Order: sequence, then C-alpha cells, then structure tokens
Amino acid sequence: MFIMLFCNLWATILAFISWWIILFTGRYPQTFFDYQVKMLRWSIRLNARIYNLVDGYPAFMPSGSDDLTQLEVTYPESLSRGTLLLRAFFGWLYILIPHGFILYFRTLWGLVLNFVAWWAILFTGRYPESMHVFQVETLRWGTRVSLYSKNMTDNYPPFNGREYGRE
Amino acid sequence: MMEASKAYHPLPQPEELTNKEKDDAMGGYLMMFAALAVGLPLPIINLIASIVYYYTNKTNSRFVRFHTYQAMISQLPLTLLNAICVAWALRIFVATSWYITPEFTGYAMMLAVANLVYIIFGIISAIKASKGRMYYYWIFGRMAYEKVFTIRPEIVPQPATNQPPRI
Repeated sequence: MFIMLFCNLWATILAFISWWIILFTGRYPQTFFDYQVKMLRWSIRLNARIYNLVDGYPAFMPSGSDDLTQLEVTYPESLSRGTLLLRAFFGWLYILIPHGFILYFRTLWGLVLNFVAWWAILFTGRYPESMHVFQVETLRWGTRVSLYSKNMTDNYPPFNGREYGRE
Repeated sequence: MMEASKAYHPLPQPEELTNKEKDDAMGGYLMMFAALAVGLPLPIINLIASIVYYYTNKTNSRFVRFHTYQAMISQLPLTLLNAICVAWALRIFVATSWYITPEFTGYAMMLAVANLVYIIFGIISAIKASKGRMYYYWIFGRMAYEKVFTIRPEIVPQPATNQPPRI
C-alpha cells in the first residue's frame, strides 16, 4: 500500500496531464494509458487478495503480473472532447451519484459477505460461489467506473458487474 | 591541443516518428504542471516529476530522450528561483507577520514573469514535440543535443589483470 501510494501519485499527475492532452489532441498518450491500466491491474490483484477471492501474494509494482486476475482494456485511438468536458463538469452528477450510490451499498454488503465467507473458507476451504460472483462483479463494476471517470474510454459503464456479452 | 570534431547521430524526421514517441516527448514539457495536479504549491514537485519522467523514458528513442532531458534541465534554474521565493515568503510569514518588503515584491514580480515565459515556451515546445519537431531552448537545447545525439566511442572492456599489492 505504501509503494502504491507513490505510484498512485504519479498516476494522478499523468491523469491530469492526459486530460489536457486529450482536450487539445483528442488522443490519450499511449504510454500514460498503459501505466493507468497497469495501476488498475495492480489494484485489482490487491483487492482480490484483500477479499480472499484468490490465493497467493499480489505481485508488487505496476509491472507485476498475475495469473488469477486479468484486465484487458482496448486502447482508444481517439476520444471525444465533448465527453471529456461533460465528465469534468457534470461527472459528479451522472457518474458519481448513480454509480457511486449503488457501489457504496454494494461494497458495504460485500464487506458483510466477506466476513461470512472468511468463516466458510476456514471450515470448508471453499469460497461460496454466489458470494464470490458478487464480489468479482463489484470489483468489475468499480473498475469500469474508474476507466470511464479517468477518461480512458468513452463507453458509459453499465449498471452491473457482469462480463461483457453476458449481461 | 585541438579537440577532434564531434560526430552526431542523424536527427529523426517527423515522418519517421511514431505517435507514441511524439506523445512521450510532449509529456516531458507538460510535467511543469505536475504541482497543479497534486495540488501543492511546491516548485520542487515539477522538477521531481520531470526527473522521474526522464528516467522512465531514458531507454526510449533519441527524440524522446532529447525532449525529456531538455525539459528536465530547463526546470532547474526556475525551480531554484521558485524555491527561494517560497523560503523568503515563509520567512516573512514567520518573522514579520506578513510585512512584505519592496525587495520581495520586486522579486515575486520578476519570478511571475519568468514563470509565465517558461510556461509559454513549455507549451510551444510541447506542441512542436507532438508534431515530431525539434525545438531548442537557449543554452539547454545545445546541452540536451550534445548529451543525446553525440556519438560516443564504444568503451571496450579491458581484460582484468592481477596486480601485486601496493606498498
């Protein structure tokens, strides 16, 4: 978490600069984009361990890899400047309020499930499947909202955490 | 004794560069806004961001290395001047409860102009870099060119020889 703090600080600087670059060029610099994706991957593999969703210790640094969690994000060749401005000025209204509201309660419920699952794993050695699916979908949902709010995609996130194609 | 004439690597032309290289080169100049992204009025943050950016792009192409190096070294004098201003302001605040001397006012005004000039040149060079063009700052441009494009003779490792102890 300590190393992640500094890496996140760097990600914040890159995100801020990317915003201006997108505004003037309509493109997200690919190196900056790759770094943000790596940070999201790191966050996912850390959260997956915190929630006991997978075993093992999460690899350090953005460059680390993991066989048990994966995140693939297509690099957008161009991004809408109108959407960029809309997100900057009204993002709180149409991203934070609807998604944040649901995700807040979903995360709270996830914490309860995590507690229950902890005991289930202790006695049976298995994570109850429905609870596992719920936690994974919450993580996926949160990641999609992050991608959209960080200007990495123009696709508005759906109000569920199911895999694309299984909605 | 006359110095042997130096040889330089050929300059990359805009059509030979990829969009990624152009974006990476542009990013170097935009690190001057890093302190804004973090929200702290500390000039050293811009310099640290430039140094981190240069070292993360050091293995990139010569075009990227030139621009990121030029952006980094050109920040040094301004960071120093800004740091003096911050220290002076802190001293005024602590020692005299905001009794602002005319000397400080003059220095702050000079610094405001210097920062403005730097921002203007920074934006010009960022635009040039994003188009795959070279842009040379006064003094720093030459230094960066010498550092990145000079052809250095390959250092041939000498075979190790064992020596008796020195008396």
